[in-house]
Amino acid sequence: MIVEYHRPQTLAEALELLQRPQPPTRPLGGGTAFDFKGDQPVAVVDVQSLGLDAIERQGNLLQVGATVTLQTLLEFPELPLALGDAICHQATYNLRHQATVGGSLVSANGRSPFGVVMLALDAQLTLMPGERTLSYGDFLALRDEFLAGHLITRIQFNPQVELAYQAVARTPADLPIVCAALARWQSGRIRLALGGWGKTPTLVLDGQGHEGLRLAAESAFSAAADEWASAEYRSKIAGVLAKRCWEQIAAKAKEG
Amino acid sequence: MEISLLINQQPHTLEVSPHETLLSALRRLGYFGAKFGCDTGECGVCAVLVDGKPLNSCRLLAAQAEGHVIETIESLGQHPQQGWKQTEGLHPIQQAFIESGAIQCGYCTPAQILAAYHLLEHNPNPTEAEVRDALSGVLCRCTGYLKPVEAVLRAAAMLRGEAVPPLAFGDRELLSLPLAPQSPADEEGGGQPPFNEARTQTKILPKVILSPNVPEHQRIGKPEKKVDAVKLAQGKPAFAADFEMRGLLYAKVLRSPYAHARIKRIDTSRARALPGVAAVLTWQDIPRVVYSTAGQSDPIPGPLDTFSLDNKVRFVGDRVAFVAAETPEIAEQALKLIEVEYEPLPAILDPAQALDPQAPRIHDEPEYVNFAESDPTRNLAAHIHIDIGDVEKGFAEADYIFEGDYEVPKVQQAHLEPHVALSYWDEDDRLVIRTSTQVPFHARRILAPVLGLPIKRIRVIKPRIGGGFGGKQEILIEDVAAHLTIATGRPVLYEMTREEEFIAARSRHPMRIHLKTGVKKDGTITANAMRVLSDTGAYGCHALTVTGNTGHKSMALYVGDGEYRKSPNIQFHADIVYTNHPPAGAFRGYGVPQGFWPVERHMEKIARALHLDPLEFRLKNALRAGELHPFSTAWSEGREPRPEVIQTCGLEECVRQGKAAIGWDQKFGNPAWHEVPGKPHLRRGIGVALVMQGTAIPYLDMGGASIKMNDDGSFNLLIGATDLGTGSDTVLAQMAAEVLGVELEDVIVYSSDTDFTPFDKGAYASSTTYISGAAVVKAAQQVAERIRLRAARMLNKAANGSGEVTPEMLTLREGRVFAPDGRSVTLAEVAHNALHHEDQEQIMGVASFYSPVSPPPFAAQFAEVTVDIETGQVTVDKLVMAVDSGVIVNPITASGQIEGGMTQALGYAVCEEMRYDEQGRARERDLRHYHIFQAHEMPELETIFVETFEPSHPFGVKAVAEIPMDGVAPAVGNAVLDACGVNIDDNPITPEKVWRALQAQRQEQGV
Repeated sequence: MIVEYHRPQTLAEALELLQRPQPPTRPLGGGTAFDFKGDQPVAVVDVQSLGLDAIERQGNLLQVGATVTLQTLLEFPELPLALGDAICHQATYNLRHQATVGGSLVSANGRSPFGVVMLALDAQLTLMPGERTLSYGDFLALRDEFLAGHLITRIQFNPQVELAYQAVARTPADLPIVCAALARWQSGRIRLALGGWGKTPTLVLDGQGHEGLRLAAESAFSAAADEWASAEYRSKIAGVLAKRCWEQIAAKAKEG
Repeated sequence: MEISLLINQQPHTLEVSPHETLLSALRRLGYFGAKFGCDTGECGVCAVLVDGKPLNSCRLLAAQAEGHVIETIESLGQHPQQGWKQTEGLHPIQQAFIESGAIQCGYCTPAQILAAYHLLEHNPNPTEAEVRDALSGVLCRCTGYLKPVEAVLRAAAMLRGEAVPPLAFGDRELLSLPLAPQSPADEEGGGQPPFNEARTQTKILPKVILSPNVPEHQRIGKPEKKVDAVKLAQGKPAFAADFEMRGLLYAKVLRSPYAHARIKRIDTSRARALPGVAAVLTWQDIPRVVYSTAGQSDPIPGPLDTFSLDNKVRFVGDRVAFVAAETPEIAEQALKLIEVEYEPLPAILDPAQALDPQAPRIHDEPEYVNFAESDPTRNLAAHIHIDIGDVEKGFAEADYIFEGDYEVPKVQQAHLEPHVALSYWDEDDRLVIRTSTQVPFHARRILAPVLGLPIKRIRVIKPRIGGGFGGKQEILIEDVAAHLTIATGRPVLYEMTREEEFIAARSRHPMRIHLKTGVKKDGTITANAMRVLSDTGAYGCHALTVTGNTGHKSMALYVGDGEYRKSPNIQFHADIVYTNHPPAGAFRGYGVPQGFWPVERHMEKIARALHLDPLEFRLKNALRAGELHPFSTAWSEGREPRPEVIQTCGLEECVRQGKAAIGWDQKFGNPAWHEVPGKPHLRRGIGVALVMQGTAIPYLDMGGASIKMNDDGSFNLLIGATDLGTGSDTVLAQMAAEVLGVELEDVIVYSSDTDFTPFDKGAYASSTTYISGAAVVKAAQQVAERIRLRAARMLNKAANGSGEVTPEMLTLREGRVFAPDGRSVTLAEVAHNALHHEDQEQIMGVASFYSPVSPPPFAAQFAEVTVDIETGQVTVDKLVMAVDSGVIVNPITASGQIEGGMTQALGYAVCEEMRYDEQGRARERDLRHYHIFQAHEMPELETIFVETFEPSHPFGVKAVAEIPMDGVAPAVGNAVLDACGVNIDDNPITPEKVWRALQAQRQEQGV
């Protein structure tokens, strides 16, 4: 239950509010994933006026302000196609115009295509106070701790990696039962992330070779059972999708 | 906190609490075009433009919207002529939606229009894919999105200043225009395709194969605009919750956390003491009256086993207490203050255990009233035992016997408008209930004893409804509001949340089916037997009648061939049992989709096993015109059955047309088509299902109509018939307009008010066009007779002796009454004469109609799929339905029913189901996890009407509303079999099921 609403005009004001021990105070982005009706009293800090909505290239990195909407990101020129696919799988038209990049990453669960792709891209989050940078994967590991008293101001990633995204669902737009995102840098580094299960997207590997990609994916999802699918199915399909992601990237490399 | 909102260029200052949503603030301020559909932002019906972008207002705090420009549907356009004031009229997008039949119930229409508005501001020449993406955030359960998408494309063309052909036409030949070529380039981006005039005309209008027996009409058969479309396109406050009353209270219901428990103690004192709470009711506070929530005629064909509030709960979500408070938030808080001591009881969550002698007894209340073979001591809500001919003899005569087990899941209607009712005492101390219902007259009758009021002191009004699909053929929540109005003396609004819809409303009956069929080598069916175990959940509403329909329709289609045709051997045995799941009820199709999943999957297997063509095998054994409906001597919804002969059956032509439309001969049996070049992991498949439904219930369903003439030659048509958004108001007005010779706008329709309109049983059993329509025609004929009498007098008086006419010689058309020699008087002149000048009378007619027959519609449903054989993922690419629904009164509204029905049935095929854990708690509680199809993931849809002229109706109509639910799932199942050789016998056909079947197949093949 939201008991206080604040809309600070400066970052300093926002941080001061967020760092209060009571009542629990959280940043509010678009609001699409915020639990308005929770039982616990909570105060919100609406971050729309903090000027965190810029998106621009800086060198080989894309700097995305935390309150940039998914739609704005989607429309950014020369975004990897697979990232666009994942954004569209994550949210339909209305929600894309409202959901923020920061908020979507913070609230991602295992069935968040956007979270899965950003994990594969090794997105880096900048947190205040302290302008501290940490990887999205590290953030997810300690999400609850980082939520209290902090504000994500910026997300950055390299949009020029090779990227593939594959998903299996009951219908083309349904929540993924299994999804996979594979990123490959020019250096040969690859990262594979999986989704469709669990509280967060799952990082499968971050390394140099693609041998063993399929087995690594199967292994990562070997216990991925819930009320929607069995672990046996998810595990096998994770392997199939990982293989397909790799084949997609390899085929493009051949063409290019 | 005080905030200021700028809405449609008007500043508003208001007090809001920090957690209040923008939706709540908008509706409080009277902007009712933004609707409530869910709390999670999934459905989009709450969308408004914020700085020009369509945002879901239920997911925005009111405070977040301060400082932004908010535009609602109310800002977009208005009626062009308002007395002496002319306005700019409606926005082209609104006009296009109205013309294109894109509006059915209208609940999602404002949100769709606003999303389209945003799209076209930024992209004046969108592709179809871009339009679908723009509409992807607004769920629609009525239309299948086809006509809304076409409407946006039409509007885009209009806004670009291009010529757009009108959809209204009088030339019969135009109706059978071939479809514009469907090349991929037409569909996708790949450069901007030129606007294809023919395509948006022919996509909106279905192909209609006209019957030579059908005469040319003025209004019948025309794609008239819906009479409520203008109102709905403007987002006018027309729905149950769009109503403000001084002193309004908000109701909430406390619901059971246990699947089965006694309430040992319930203490509401702390809840009552909370400031702002006006009443708290438990089973101890209201009279104990047993009833059934099923909206059906008297006597209810089912047990009476329900109380408004009981001292026992029978499913997770069952009612425990009611609260009425000044705000919904206070009511929610009060729920938490009610102390309940439960004594949990063992629960039955598997219908197979219900009949076990050791099973716990779900209904042990002394007030239980049995019906037919119900037996609560055995948890039996109903039992059906129908034997036609001699199946054992038939099996003995067969060359082969095929047996199979099938299962169908619980699924939900998922109408975008939840159940909502508003009750209040009027100035005459009569209780008025304004409710989103399909059955206003049944509601009045059934509520009377429950509330302790005579029927004459209750008035039920059905306003516009945001979808029902059977979920509102139920007296589900009116009693909650009514009991609280009685307790407090004040108006009460009860609106279910989306979660309450999933856990405590109604659903389709899940069933386990065993089929046994005997066939000869040549494909003649010698005997067909179905055994059903149906789970009706905690209460027995619709238990008997839904499952009876499963047999009565799906087992009636195949009678066999040769001598078996003359005396078929068919058996249908069913047990409908109580469990501690939420109750099942009525859902469009009403038992027939449950029957055709097994029957049509079974027929496919038999055809393949015997190496027979699947369509020839089916047609060889299918019912034909001139034959007796095999069940008509055995079953009639718990009443005395009477023999019926099928007068019209266009099934063969449906098959021929559907095959041609989907390219069956090029695809079926063609190995090359089944492969996808460059994608070895994909397989294509094509499948079919033949189906039939019914049209109303004979000797039971009745509708009345009354028509009165106004001074200007217009008419008021008063009908009890219940328009759920289906367009029945329009279709019935068309029938009246046809008889009276006027334009549609000269018939003003008012429907579904128990004080003002004649009785109608309500919107179910696909009866409105047929039954209520026939009553309208009879009433209109009476009015026409009075008009002709008077007009003859007037014409003769004016002619002064020469050229005498008699009433029989006169015809009504173009708003006039014509003599054979061309003389005429206008209807306005006739009306003035009648009301004011001489021998004064109110020209009016009153009639009712019931039918001795229920002429079935027939259809052939085709499906094309692509299966990923590595993952099991199934993509449905195309659905074609060719249907014989008799004469089509309005091709736009009728095809809208087919498109929407196929889309709803598509969910049954691939993704919709309701599952429960071992405590009886629902897995699906919101529209994220209960997925209904969205605009951007739709297969291609095509509708073909094969007209026949049904002689038992003045205009030759049959039903169209439910049949589209029947064939999609089995057609998709058969297509999957065709694609990759696996049989899925329980729907939905989900990826893991297909994958496991493929794994098993590989093991068998030693691969």
